[in-house]
Amino acid sequence: MVNQKSLCIVLLIISTIAILSCFVINFQDWVVYVIAVVGIPLWVLSLGLLTMAKPRPEDVEERVKEPFTGY
Amino acid sequence: MADILINVIIAFLAGSLLLGLHRKIMARVQKRPGPPIIQHLLHSLKFFFKETAFPKTVSKPFYIGIVFILAAVWIVGVIVGPVTKNSLLILFGVYAIYKIVEHNSGSSSGSPYGKLSCVRAVLSAATELPLFAVIVLVYLKTNTMNIGGIISYQSVNGSLAVSIPLAALMFFLLLLTKSPYSPFAITKDKALVSGFETEHFGFLRGFIMFAESISWYVMLWIFLTIFFGHLSVVGYIIGMIVITFITSFINSVTPILNPNHSVMSQITIGAVCFVGTLIMIFI
Repeated sequence: MVNQKSLCIVLLIISTIAILSCFVINFQDWVVYVIAVVGIPLWVLSLGLLTMAKPRPEDVEERVKEPFTGY
Repeated sequence: MADILINVIIAFLAGSLLLGLHRKIMARVQKRPGPPIIQHLLHSLKFFFKETAFPKTVSKPFYIGIVFILAAVWIVGVIVGPVTKNSLLILFGVYAIYKIVEHNSGSSSGSPYGKLSCVRAVLSAATELPLFAVIVLVYLKTNTMNIGGIISYQSVNGSLAVSIPLAALMFFLLLLTKSPYSPFAITKDKALVSGFETEHFGFLRGFIMFAESISWYVMLWIFLTIFFGHLSVVGYIIGMIVITFITSFINSVTPILNPNHSVMSQITIGAVCFVGTLIMIFI
């Protein structure tokens, strides 16, 4: 869980820097498009993984059980 | 980048409000009060803070990655459409990848509902045939696949909705298929709970709703631009509201079709409109 949090913080920082760099540096169009297509979803994804609430330790097992398969 | 960011934010906000309006109109037609129009937007944001856990049976990288791809696909849609007014073929590719996302989102979870939805996503690729036919017909009429070129053509020759109305009808069929609770939405049939989204809850559902809001805006923007030319901001707003109203009315009074009927209806309507448009162009 700590690793996931660290990874998300790193990804959030990288995507933020990548997006902001397009405002400062005059990249070629295709570079801007690649940064937008990868950077914006990555920013939202890493932010979401940080903001989402985690289940309490005693509830984790219950939460990750597949509710529909009946395994 | 500023242009892309602004368009993505507009697409998310406008798409969310239009989907909220869609839900509201459906409720009113069915004599229910329905949620506020802003509810879809609030839900999308609220889910980012909801408790999220990853079920044991999912393929985790795939399960998360597919939602990332869904958002990336529709950001490509924003760039190709409202930002650069580029080729329709790229948009066809975007829609094809969207179908792959539906398929793989269902298969990445361990749920049988997701898996059944994943199988249906293959069947529902029939919706791409009318889209491809529309692109061919628009090319035959305008000699270009570039959205900017199509806008220029219409500024000289008038709206394509008037000259090739059956092609517009085919594209509208695609919008109808893409709209929530559509009679053709076999991948999200309520018999499958939420279809391929069944196992994506909490933050990931919010992320999917973010991408779907953008997709609804992009699809409406493309339809209006291809068939009515470049409109003013007010024109786009009115057009999008009208289309949302029509689709929600149809969806609220039409039961979902079974997969066979859905596919055959789409192919039949597509074929009739394709032949009809060819006759209108060449005769």
